[in-house]
Amino acid sequence: CKSRFEKLRASNDVAKKYQEAIRLYNKRDFSKALVLFEDLSQKYRGREQAEGLNFYYANTLYKLQDYTTARYQFKSFADTYPASKDAEEARYMAAYCYYLESPTFSLDQENTYKAIDALQLFINLYPTSDRAVSAAKYIATLRGKLEDKAFENAKMYLTTGPSNVENYRAAVIALKNAQRDYPDIRYAEEMDFLMIKSQYMYAKNSIPIRQEDRYNEATDLYNEFTANYPKSKFTNDAKQLKSDIESGIAFNKQEMATFAADQAKYMEMLKKTGKIKDTISAKPIKADNTNIKNK
Amino acid sequence: PATPSLKVGGLDLDYFSPKEYIIGGTKITGTEYLDKEVLVTLSKLAKGDKVVLPGEATAEAIKTLWAQGLFDDVKLNIEKFVQDTVYFEIEVVERPRLSSIDLKGVRKSEKTAIQEKLNDKTGKIVNDNLYNTTSAIVKKYLLDKGYFFTKINYTTRKDPNSENSVVLEANIDKGHRVKVQHIDFTGNKDFKAAKLRKYLKNPKQFAWWRFWGSGKFSKEKYEENKIKMISKLHEKGYRDAELLKDSIYQFNRKKVNIKMDLYEGKKYYFGKITWAGNAIYTTEILNKVLSIEKGDIFSEDKLDKKINGGGENGGDINSLYTDNGYLTFNIDPVQTKIYNDTVDVEMRIYEGPQYTNNRITLKGNTITNDKVVLREIRTKPGQKFNKSDLIRTVREIGALGNFDESKTVPTPRPNPSDGTVDIEYAVEEKPSDQIELSGGFGGGRIIGTLGLTFNNFSLRNLFNLKAYKPLPKGDGQKLSLRGQTNGKYYQSYSFSFSQPWFGGEKPVSFGVSAFTSLQSSGIGDSSNPNYYKIRLNGVTVSLGRRLNWPDNYFQLSHALSFQQYILQNYPGFKFSTGTSYNFNLSQEISRDSRDSPIYPTSGSFLRFTVQATPPYSLFNKVNYATASDKTKYRFTEYHKWKFDSQWYQRVGGQFVIKAQAQFGFLGSYNSGVGQSPFERFKLGGDGMQGFDFLQGSELIAMRGYANNTVIPVGANASQAQTSGSPIYTKYVLEARYPVIKSQQATAFILAFAEGGNTWDRFNDFNPFNIRRSVGVGARIFLPIFGLLGIDYGYGFDAIPGLPDANKGQFHFSIAQQLGGF
Repeated sequence: CKSRFEKLRASNDVAKKYQEAIRLYNKRDFSKALVLFEDLSQKYRGREQAEGLNFYYANTLYKLQDYTTARYQFKSFADTYPASKDAEEARYMAAYCYYLESPTFSLDQENTYKAIDALQLFINLYPTSDRAVSAAKYIATLRGKLEDKAFENAKMYLTTGPSNVENYRAAVIALKNAQRDYPDIRYAEEMDFLMIKSQYMYAKNSIPIRQEDRYNEATDLYNEFTANYPKSKFTNDAKQLKSDIESGIAFNKQEMATFAADQAKYMEMLKKTGKIKDTISAKPIKADNTNIKNK
Repeated sequence: PATPSLKVGGLDLDYFSPKEYIIGGTKITGTEYLDKEVLVTLSKLAKGDKVVLPGEATAEAIKTLWAQGLFDDVKLNIEKFVQDTVYFEIEVVERPRLSSIDLKGVRKSEKTAIQEKLNDKTGKIVNDNLYNTTSAIVKKYLLDKGYFFTKINYTTRKDPNSENSVVLEANIDKGHRVKVQHIDFTGNKDFKAAKLRKYLKNPKQFAWWRFWGSGKFSKEKYEENKIKMISKLHEKGYRDAELLKDSIYQFNRKKVNIKMDLYEGKKYYFGKITWAGNAIYTTEILNKVLSIEKGDIFSEDKLDKKINGGGENGGDINSLYTDNGYLTFNIDPVQTKIYNDTVDVEMRIYEGPQYTNNRITLKGNTITNDKVVLREIRTKPGQKFNKSDLIRTVREIGALGNFDESKTVPTPRPNPSDGTVDIEYAVEEKPSDQIELSGGFGGGRIIGTLGLTFNNFSLRNLFNLKAYKPLPKGDGQKLSLRGQTNGKYYQSYSFSFSQPWFGGEKPVSFGVSAFTSLQSSGIGDSSNPNYYKIRLNGVTVSLGRRLNWPDNYFQLSHALSFQQYILQNYPGFKFSTGTSYNFNLSQEISRDSRDSPIYPTSGSFLRFTVQATPPYSLFNKVNYATASDKTKYRFTEYHKWKFDSQWYQRVGGQFVIKAQAQFGFLGSYNSGVGQSPFERFKLGGDGMQGFDFLQGSELIAMRGYANNTVIPVGANASQAQTSGSPIYTKYVLEARYPVIKSQQATAFILAFAEGGNTWDRFNDFNPFNIRRSVGVGARIFLPIFGLLGIDYGYGFDAIPGLPDANKGQFHFSIAQQLGGF
């Protein structure tokens, strides 16, 4: 035997169905209401009541957390009834559904970009609306997400540095790019600091002949940092890095001197044994193609 | 000249002086089923409208009505003029509409294919034109399949379901699928007809002994192959070779002859090869890489291969540049001079700037977190662009198992202004979790198994309910849980977890696994005299890391494992009540260069493992000569060596050959202690874990023989079967052919030959004294079920004492470790 709901569902009494659907909606029985709204939205096409019905329909989907379909229904409502009193809310909800579908920063951010576009469009259409204020707030949240992503992905290269020395260089580049992409990124200070650290690690793990130049680049980054942030919470750590860089340079100079001395001795020995003629000036070290010391 | 005019009802319609009329009415004649009112509306010649005659409106009316496709003929007549009022008459010839075409005399698959091509015919009117176009489509289709002499006749019947519609019945007489009697060539001098036929490959000339294979003629293939034949001639240096004419003519009812008229031209050789535009690499280096000498047989194909290469391994000019940052590199080999039989080639090179990787981004990861993929990417910001790295990265993203390999697309976007390139990797997630749910017979009882494997688990989100979809996912960790039970008699539970980047800094994988299992008589409890049980507990911790030396396909791993065996009245073992411990360390070095984990088509897999326990007998002061088994095996000691090598190679078309050799040896430190009863090898059968884990045995599949039946020659059959053997070796040669290769499933069929044997003592070991088998099988990989397999093997060698061990054997396998021991 069919339930009352099933009987109603199968019947053709649209007026009664409409009433029942709204009753169910108000009773928060959204999944049942949805069944009726879906059915009715076909039958009411082109009729006067369709406007109210479609708005209910979109809201039901929203309540059921089917944000993808809800977004579509809100948007098509706003497009079909631009003069409706609910049009503003529908536009807002359509954008808000995108916002809700924006995933955590470590996943693909396609919906985040779409949400920002939709919210911005809403602000442009209804600049004086109360909702424009919250839309702006959501945009800020979403932009924050994109900043998080840029920051974390750049920092990853520093974290994974021990697996491959080139990751340190990659970290410096990625951090710079993130700052270029998001000029007002809220991690700017930390990123500048991490750049010094990455460059220092890069220099430290390079082959001796390349080290000095790379240390000097780190020093440049340090000077820039102290000029930009005279009172930073990273100041102490940065100073520590600075002294590490200095001792690194000193050590490298010593290392290179010893190396050159050894080289000279070896040449001397070759000359003595007559294996090499005086005219040939030996190059001290041959630059390696990879430029990197494998650790 | 006479004025063009139209006389209607005594009135002149002069094209030079059109006049406006009012329509007094439009009459439709000749309709049978169609509504007249609708037709008048369509014609737009409604009563009361104004119309200019002669003019556009009348022509438009006819056009519109024709466009409906409902009529065989449409005529517009002027019935009469009454002063300035005109009365039209539209005369139509209505034809039945086609509701469907029923094809008879063809196979179902052919019918579907033809039907598809005929699709847009329904709704059209049935006339000669329809017959002709239909025949043409059907004949063309069948011709491509080798039916040269198709006959079709048509009958129509009324469609009972809709008015004025007919079903067209096409009775097709396919005739015979023709074979080719002779393929004759004219115009060939240097190439013998037989050679040319070989180049053509298909169709093959009829021969009485060719009772199998592609004797049938397919027009489609023929068209393809004749182009291939000519390019083969080009490859041989005959760069002017051309097919002037070819004709196919009937030999008899079942056969056709082919005649081909060739222009062979002469054989050309490479002349001088010069380079232009190269600044980075010297001509000397480029010539070395190209490795084409003056005097080599000219072949554009060879030239192209040397320039653009085929594989990713490089060795071609293109890789030389694109692996060193020259992303926009371009080369154009121009044949500058042709004299006698010599072709001079100038290589015009555009080197472009050397690009450096800049932004590396990922797109499409809706489940997996960025870092899981980004840390595997080999193209790093700041490095010179390298195409081989790009290709390798795509493969390694595939190896993560979370993405559809065929849909991983890298897009380099060069910015010529600053010489950098941004690379975007677009991926598409695929379901990677596996579930194993089975009920079956084991040990004569029903046994239920539930296994779950999550390949993209996220442990840190275990308590973050928001991340559940439906489980915490996205960190590339692997979690598997498995339970197997048949009630009181047997229970086994296991768990394992692994994390690919332990600590997040280096690609060091960390794994932990544990299991517990119990087998008992099931009757009563421990007070019952007939009660017996064996319980096993084990835990393993492992660390693995990828190496960069000797090359970056190597991997080294270490595992520490602890197992406990608790026996109570347990029959069939060295002692019946007591506890035994197995504490061991294993080291494994492996090299995996296979191109795909599921269906490899190239590459190899090598693995060498050593597993050892501490040598207790050296320091525990037990007199092993007199000690009871219980004392002797309390701390089991052994050392175990294993080696596995697999090699994959694509041969001719889609076929892949797999060659594998395995070897395992279990040794003892002290002859007084004797060989370990644990950790032995059991060879034969499907290699599926059953109850055999009890002594920590390793099961090695060998098709064509029943489970665990390949025992050492001369061994006591029942004892050797339960205990396993300390030495084994196995060889496999397998030919594979893919049937399905899609995201939803991968399936392939295979034929194999295997050989293997076990030995008790190293002195007896002879790697060539093996038991052999051959057989066929199939595998299907479904993302959620893992790998399912069925094989039929025939074992040639009888096993003394085990009469049912060899001959024909079916083997089923489920979710086996891919490419495992």
